[in-house]
Amino acid sequence: MKLSVKLIYFITGSKIAVVLIFILSVPFLVERIASEYTNYSLRDQQKKVMNNVRRHGVGFYLQGDKSYGSYTMLKEEYIALEPAGPGADMDTIQTEERIVEQDTLNYRVLSYTFRVGSNRYLLEIGKTTGSINQYNKPLQRIALYVLMGLIAVTIIIDLIFTRILISPLKEIIQTKLIKRKFPFKEPAVPVKTSTGDFKYLDQSLIDLMDQINVDFEKEREFTANASHELMTPISILQTKMENLLAEENISEATTMSIIGMMKTLGRLKKISSSLLFISRIENAQFARTDQIKPAKLITDVLEEISHRMEEKGLKLHVSLSDDVTLNNVNQDLLFQFFYNLINNAIKYNVEKGSISISDHRGRSGYSIVISDSGIGIAKEELDFIFDRFRKTNLGENVGYGLGLSIVKSIAVYNGIDVKVASVVGEGSKFTITFGDFDAKITGGKP
Amino acid sequence: MKVLIIEDEKTLAYEMETFLKKAFYLCDLAHTAAKAAECIEMNQYDFILLDLGLPDGDGLSLLPKAKKHNPEAAYIILTARGNLEDKIAGLDLGADDYLAKPFSLLELQSRMQAIARRKFNVNAETVPLGDFSVNLQTRFIYFQAQQIELSRKEFDLLSYLLLHKNRVLTRMQLSEHIWGTFADDDYDSNYIDAHIKNIRKKLNTYAPTDWLETVRGVGYRIRK
Repeated sequence: MKLSVKLIYFITGSKIAVVLIFILSVPFLVERIASEYTNYSLRDQQKKVMNNVRRHGVGFYLQGDKSYGSYTMLKEEYIALEPAGPGADMDTIQTEERIVEQDTLNYRVLSYTFRVGSNRYLLEIGKTTGSINQYNKPLQRIALYVLMGLIAVTIIIDLIFTRILISPLKEIIQTKLIKRKFPFKEPAVPVKTSTGDFKYLDQSLIDLMDQINVDFEKEREFTANASHELMTPISILQTKMENLLAEENISEATTMSIIGMMKTLGRLKKISSSLLFISRIENAQFARTDQIKPAKLITDVLEEISHRMEEKGLKLHVSLSDDVTLNNVNQDLLFQFFYNLINNAIKYNVEKGSISISDHRGRSGYSIVISDSGIGIAKEELDFIFDRFRKTNLGENVGYGLGLSIVKSIAVYNGIDVKVASVVGEGSKFTITFGDFDAKITGGKP
Repeated sequence: MKVLIIEDEKTLAYEMETFLKKAFYLCDLAHTAAKAAECIEMNQYDFILLDLGLPDGDGLSLLPKAKKHNPEAAYIILTARGNLEDKIAGLDLGADDYLAKPFSLLELQSRMQAIARRKFNVNAETVPLGDFSVNLQTRFIYFQAQQIELSRKEFDLLSYLLLHKNRVLTRMQLSEHIWGTFADDDYDSNYIDAHIKNIRKKLNTYAPTDWLETVRGVGYRIRK
């Protein structure tokens, strides 16, 4: 689930929860407010009564009677003044039942005793509680509507805001992780954001990539230097052996062992120069300015390699269109690229097997498919065949394990996509796709 | 032919000298740029073999000065650097060829001979080979006036063996010459044998080819 969706779910959920709690607690709150208000108004009325008593004497109410009582019409309020019996002084507000003209009603009752001269009086002011709770239902309904409306508005604002808030994350992933191609040549541009966490993430990724670059640079430098440093001693050995072989008076056994040494040296030479070749590709030492026709290039490769194909008695099917031109590639590198792939198709083929080379134009670009009837590659090995010194087909004809590494380097350098499918015992299929920007597809022949 | 070998690796320079002497080249050795400059001023050379990584300076910077004193000489750059810029810079400065280390001495001599043919018109005429004659310039082989068709690789093989006549060339050496960097590690495969068989078959219809010897377990040799 997306972070923005999660955030919206959480925010909405918590808002709804708060609103529900509020609405459920409305009756209680209303009761509290009403009771506070009732208490307040009872005290207010008490004050007024006491003012009157103070100003006009208690007779103002009693008018000569022993007690005074008054009700409002619907008995919602009453006021009573009577002589107090013996007992403690009172000054309370309580909810009590009162029987008024045969009706038992709940009242909020203020009881207050006071003295006038030597007489003690009890003042009671009552107010029904029933009238207090009648507003609960409509209040709840109105609160529900208003709050739900507010929630809807805030959710829309939240949606917009979280989207804006989270957008740098998407940008960081896009620019730093997905779109960047290794090796990272151009410096990384920090994503613009005022969110500290994203800045931190972005900077961490930039640092990480810089570190990878530094390490990669070191490895590349090492490969180049090491291979280069090997070339001089290999040269010396090679020339020494060549001169030794030309000596007149050496025995056949010596000759054979010199030849053996030369073969081993040849292997060393091949490995070093392959590594150096890879590091040169990675160092971008080859111009990518050639325009080539793949049909012609592959014909040249096949001519160069035909003797190997003939030796194994392989059948070859080539079907390539003549009117395709690849732009911005390096001819030598592409030659090596197809040479290695076709060479493998021969090397790991069976006697009297077959190789087929065809092409097609698809949505993703121009593809060339090289398939063979060879021994195939095990599924668990497929991911590693482009690794250096990885040898998967441990048959009698094992190479150095660098052929496909070179293929990979050239592919990366020239923006070529290589896909492999293989079934052990049936053969392998390499699909090589040149992106649209590299493949200028002209119309048919005039 | 007089050759100046500018190479700071003394052993390598010595081996080059040994090899070229056998092919009747006269060699001077210079292990530093300073010594090389001195040699170039003092003598006239036909070939100057120039290593780029010298202890007291870049070999490339020697080239313009050398060309002034030895304008007629052929320049071959030898380097372990092998990067493209060096190659282009070298050829721009007027070098005739460029060999990346490690190179085969046979290959070096073959390049020198090609330059000699081009530049000094050496061996422009046809070279006799048994009852045949070979024109290295036009790359044709004749029996009397009859021109014989050899494939490109067959002719390459034959001319390489002819250049290094009386020397046994191994299948590996021949493979490396024919296929260059594309020579695979399967030196014992019979691709070279197949080509030799074809050459013999084509030539034997005209005259015997007993000058082309198979040296068992080693390779081939043209004996003259």
